[in-house]
Amino acid sequence: MTLPLPAKNSAPRISRRAVLRGVGCTMALPWLESLQALADTPPPSAFPKRFGVVFLGCGINEDYWSAAGAGAAMKLSKTLQPLEPLKQKINVIDGLYVRALTGQGIHPAQTGSLLSGAHISKGAIIHSGISIDQMIANRVGEDTPQSSIVLACDQPMTGYHESNFSLAYSSHLSWQTPDSPVPVEVYPSLAWDNLFDNRGSLLNVSILDRVKGRAEALNRKISSTDRSKMDEYLTSVREVEKRVEGMRKSKNNADDAAKARNTVATTMDRPANGLPEDLRDHVRLMCDLIAIAFQTNQTRVASLIISRDLSAMYYPFLGVKDGHHSASHDNNSEGYERIARFHVSQYAYLASKLDSMKEGDGTVLDNTCLMFLSNLWIGREHDNSRLPVVLAGGLGGTLETGRTLNYLNAGANHRKMCGLYLSLMDRFGIELEQFGDATERLEGL
Amino acid sequence: MMISSFMQLRTLPAVLALAVMPAAGAVTPALDRQFEQTVKPFVAKYCIACHSGQTPAAQFDLKAYATTDLVTRDFPRWALVMQRLTAKEMPPKPIPAPPEEARQQVIDWIQALRAEEVKKSAGDPGLVLARRLSNAEYNYTIRDLTGQDMRPTREFPIDPANPAGFDNSSESLTMSPALLSKYLQAARGVAGHMVLTPDGIDFAPYPMLVETDRDKYSIQRIVDFYLRQPTDFADYFEAAWRYRYRAELGKPEATLASIAADSKVSAKYLPMVWQILQEKDAVGPIAKLQAMWRDLPAPGSDQLQTLRGWCVGMRNFVVKIRTHTAMQFAAPVVIGLPAGSQPLLNWKLYQFAAHRRDSDPNDLLSDTDPVPDVPPIPKYPDSHDEAAPHWAALSAKARAGDPDLVVPAAKRSRYEAAFAQLASVFPDAFYVKERGRYFPDDSQDKGRLLSAGYHNTMGYFRDDTPLMELILDDEGQKQLNSLWDEFDFIANLTARTWVQYFVNQSGEVRGTGNESGTARPLDQEITDEAVIKGLRHAYLVLAEADQRTDPMAFQAIRDHFDRVNATLRGLEKEHADAEPKHLEALLRFAARAYRRPLTKAERDDFLAYYHTLREKNQLSHEDAIRESVAGVLMSPDFLYRIDLVDAGMATSGSTPRVASLKTSGIPSRPLSAYSLASRLSYFLWASMPDDELLRRAAAGDLQRPDVLLAQTRRMLKDARVSGLATEFAGNWLDFRHFETNNTVDRERFPTFNNDLREAMFQEPVRFIEDLIHNDRSVLDMLYGKYTFVNPALAEHYGMPEVAGNQNTWVRVDDAGKYQRGGLLPMAVFLTQNSPGLRTSPVKRGYWVVRRVLGEVIPPPPPVVPELPADEAKSELPLRDMLAQHRANPVCAACHARFDSFGLAFEGYGPVGEARTEDLAGRSVDTHAVFPGGSQGAGMDAVIAYIREHRQADFVDNVSRKLLAYALNRSLQLSDESIIDRMESGLPANDYRFDWLVETIVASPQFLTRRVSDSREPLQPETRQPQSGDSQSRR
Repeated sequence: MTLPLPAKNSAPRISRRAVLRGVGCTMALPWLESLQALADTPPPSAFPKRFGVVFLGCGINEDYWSAAGAGAAMKLSKTLQPLEPLKQKINVIDGLYVRALTGQGIHPAQTGSLLSGAHISKGAIIHSGISIDQMIANRVGEDTPQSSIVLACDQPMTGYHESNFSLAYSSHLSWQTPDSPVPVEVYPSLAWDNLFDNRGSLLNVSILDRVKGRAEALNRKISSTDRSKMDEYLTSVREVEKRVEGMRKSKNNADDAAKARNTVATTMDRPANGLPEDLRDHVRLMCDLIAIAFQTNQTRVASLIISRDLSAMYYPFLGVKDGHHSASHDNNSEGYERIARFHVSQYAYLASKLDSMKEGDGTVLDNTCLMFLSNLWIGREHDNSRLPVVLAGGLGGTLETGRTLNYLNAGANHRKMCGLYLSLMDRFGIELEQFGDATERLEGL
Repeated sequence: MMISSFMQLRTLPAVLALAVMPAAGAVTPALDRQFEQTVKPFVAKYCIACHSGQTPAAQFDLKAYATTDLVTRDFPRWALVMQRLTAKEMPPKPIPAPPEEARQQVIDWIQALRAEEVKKSAGDPGLVLARRLSNAEYNYTIRDLTGQDMRPTREFPIDPANPAGFDNSSESLTMSPALLSKYLQAARGVAGHMVLTPDGIDFAPYPMLVETDRDKYSIQRIVDFYLRQPTDFADYFEAAWRYRYRAELGKPEATLASIAADSKVSAKYLPMVWQILQEKDAVGPIAKLQAMWRDLPAPGSDQLQTLRGWCVGMRNFVVKIRTHTAMQFAAPVVIGLPAGSQPLLNWKLYQFAAHRRDSDPNDLLSDTDPVPDVPPIPKYPDSHDEAAPHWAALSAKARAGDPDLVVPAAKRSRYEAAFAQLASVFPDAFYVKERGRYFPDDSQDKGRLLSAGYHNTMGYFRDDTPLMELILDDEGQKQLNSLWDEFDFIANLTARTWVQYFVNQSGEVRGTGNESGTARPLDQEITDEAVIKGLRHAYLVLAEADQRTDPMAFQAIRDHFDRVNATLRGLEKEHADAEPKHLEALLRFAARAYRRPLTKAERDDFLAYYHTLREKNQLSHEDAIRESVAGVLMSPDFLYRIDLVDAGMATSGSTPRVASLKTSGIPSRPLSAYSLASRLSYFLWASMPDDELLRRAAAGDLQRPDVLLAQTRRMLKDARVSGLATEFAGNWLDFRHFETNNTVDRERFPTFNNDLREAMFQEPVRFIEDLIHNDRSVLDMLYGKYTFVNPALAEHYGMPEVAGNQNTWVRVDDAGKYQRGGLLPMAVFLTQNSPGLRTSPVKRGYWVVRRVLGEVIPPPPPVVPELPADEAKSELPLRDMLAQHRANPVCAACHARFDSFGLAFEGYGPVGEARTEDLAGRSVDTHAVFPGGSQGAGMDAVIAYIREHRQADFVDNVSRKLLAYALNRSLQLSDESIIDRMESGLPANDYRFDWLVETIVASPQFLTRRVSDSREPLQPETRQPQSGDSQSRR
């Protein structure tokens, strides 16, 4: 629909989802507003649970990816070093896989349903499954101005891979319907607008204003009996408008609530238009957006693709000459280890940021599950028989942390990503009998 | 289950009172006097013992009617009183019967009161408030407005029905904040389907917010276009044969053009095929083709049934020759660039596309030449390597030993010319629909529609020159060209392809790998001319650096980058040029949505809003248009049907005709032409007026009886009449929500699946659609010996198999053989009126008398005995339990009036299946004694009884229901004269459904509206009477 870079003089886009969200979300009391009525230290259950995914395409350097032990004694390998300060708040999970993404080719065929475990279709018509983040967004998204934010630092592709799967599968993690991925937002400025400018609700107010004016004008032209009907309409319009306006104020409310607790809600200036030239700046901005969106309850669900599958991104600042995908074919190189570690460090940055945000006796991270994930284990072999997974955050006290969990030898039916998703969705009140290829929760989570 | 729950009878509704007689003025003093002297004492003596107090019998308190005026206001109940007294059903048994004379006096009084009121108010159009579209109307209207059946109200709360049972009246259609929020979401949802084309606004079947959906939409339209074209050579040979034997085939006048039209082949191409078949002195493949042509059997020959086979043989011959002699190309070689490099690969694709009507002379073999060796087939090349050698080897192998390619050495050039001529008429392909990496080897990479065959990055390529040149006429060429233009316009193809290429592949020119891209350009947009020119330069420099570079490569590189740049610049202009057209389209959209012309002020307002969105809200053009579309759909002018006196007058130039129809003492005026158009279309289609109807409104002659009648008849023949069949019949007969029915135990009835459920729902709709389309008798609903079935329903009914899919419906004329025919034995009613694991004679019988025959049955008392839930587990047959129930005279008063109908249907099981045994294995007994004492067994007996005794009830009920549906309100006494007209005219008009429709459309009720402001304003809320349970049924 639009050029990946904003055309000169062209106005910024707005996310359609943002606008759509603006309406349905308006019914619930903004969470922070309700908080003010609570005691100084509300119980953990009073805080919303959040879910986030941070993605690295094409796998890691397996020589430097391992973890052992628990808690403070946990030993982290080189690539995981950035998580050292967060050891008590993470789980490093090894040995999980997605059955639907094995045995049908490489890359997009190994990525298209990473978060749903659905079977994906080859050829012109793309078809996957609703992803776990969107499942959660569908459940908890009604309570926030945006049901989810879906971000990427890497432009999506839509060509064909030699496996005959569309590269749309390589470019998207989040699927709202099986037929359409959620469009990724790559511009920090537009993501900011959607989150904090409340563009969706602003436009709703503007539509409602207009029709209100029209109904009032009509009222002067129609019979008194018809007027009773038009009044019913007008009252409804005014009522909805009030609610939308109320939602628009939630950012202020968030600030007020923070002030009342003697902390300051993190603020963030609107990022500049266009794509940041330096990837490091880009990722940092995206992480900041997610952190603040979580803290201020603008949304509870986020996904961030730092590099997509088959990424052609460059890392001159890491001293790597090849693009991302080429480098991954030599994945046990030092260079590729640096690429993977860079991704982990960004993940650690976001987790630490969430951990610095006080919420009751704990932090926002304590009420979050932030997942780090790649689609491959060993890039040079396109091996996805196990996936690198890290979870950060205690999810409101429902998820024990500080552990290393290894399912590699648990048997094919007991080491499913979809089992992990079932377990996580349970904690959001979504209790399914089956998800993707799993009918059982992941044991010992 | 409780017997009571089936009888969630609306007590005579409440809201009715408001519609009936807003100002029941004084009746004659004589009637008043009789009320005091005769009626009241009778009621006091015989009725109020039961019908009064805290829990009046049948929830009907007769003590409340203190004055004649109050009786008038609630007349329908008193009509019931009259019925019961006439039938001597009241007072019931233990109470002594009143003297005949006293009874008759009360009956006469009620009749006189009715006559008086009818006279006084005849022609009063009644109060029809502005009202929002019902959910169903909203869906149909969106469908007709956008051309896409999106059904946005699927998740809306169900609309409540009015007392007449319809969900289309202002009495019941209310607005609330929750609903308004849903409308806002629906409006945005619909607007999300919007797609801007170079000429205007269109709507796609799915949201067009994601790039993959925009691609899918555009590609599908082009592929569908391709597949629609007649490109099978065999069809042309067959058509040529018909021309050759036109005289023998009885069409001596036929021309190639007329035969092309009859055979549905291209009139442009057929003469070319004909021509080559007539070629003189042909040699080689043309001579051979002509020989096959001459061998085609003549008409009358006993071989004629094989004509098609012969033509296919000719086609296969041509296809073989063309496949073996098609031109082949490889990407020009540039050392340092992969063969899949876009500038080089594109050159190859263009060559293929340009030479589909050429024959490669090198593929021919002179008869003096040695037979060449069959080459070994190399393995598939890598993704970035040239596939041409592989394809050349495959082709050579396929060609090897083809004798048709061997030509006399001495006449080689003449033969080459013949091959060339054949190729010019028969291209090796008319178009390329799919393309993979090893193009033209299509054995891999299936399903990449219109793809350019690039590796990983997106790209599409158009290759259909032969189709354009040979098959398509001017109009077809124009269509196909605009589909491709729109592909780029809608999906932003060239720009996205360029950017994906730039980011992911252009690194190849810098030696950073085949796939890896380039760092983001600083401060510059990737699609800038300077960036494109910069890369062009880099490629040329690379090509020049090595002497081994194929000279063609330079042209290929220049062409490619220049083409990208020109296309992008062209698109920028096209987008700019299209903006004013989109605004015009927006205004047209709004006028259609409002179902009337926009005023000047409204047009200005839309434009001003658009500019605000662009400038103040910083929206893009497309977002601003989309936002405006959502705004249109939220406007009360769209959501509501409001009769504005001056609607459209300012623009149409005609003056409102205020000739008031002085038919009653209640002032009324004609509807505006546009309101009338809407009233007509929402009656007949449950949807917005079409362009033709709006044109008549604009012309100002829609109110003319002949024009109105002509429009009505036209519209009744239209497919959109399914709206009437679904909404009117669905609500009248109470199956409207059957599509979501979940009461059937699917484990016990495994044949009941969603397809069958949908088929059951469709059966009465199809039946009634057919009845309307073909001017059939309303009595066919009862007596028709036919019905309509699809494969699922045919199987369910045990009828002969119907071939096709679930949308294949066929008429079954001898439905009686399968115990079907007409509405009554349709599975949808039998299933809906069964509570799951047993039938319910009570519900089924009640449905017949109430829904079909229009009889009013009072609600049951609060405490009723329970019947077993599972037929298989009950000791007695249902019939015996019901007989016990009827032994109680209190129950019998009502049950005697409907149980028998249901008992006669015991030959149908819980999902409407014909049966001889119930679920417990007892043989079913369908014998029934109908009210009045006549007896019989099975459905035939029910129908015979109705024909004999109740046909008038049915006709009266259909008439009333249709009128209430048409007028969007409950009926009132002033409507009696139309009802009389409808019913009395039916026999002379063969009981045709359209007679009922035409009578309604011509009535003052339909054509006028009350001028209500001259009256005391009505406050509907305050008039809601006490027991307002009428809307709680669902």
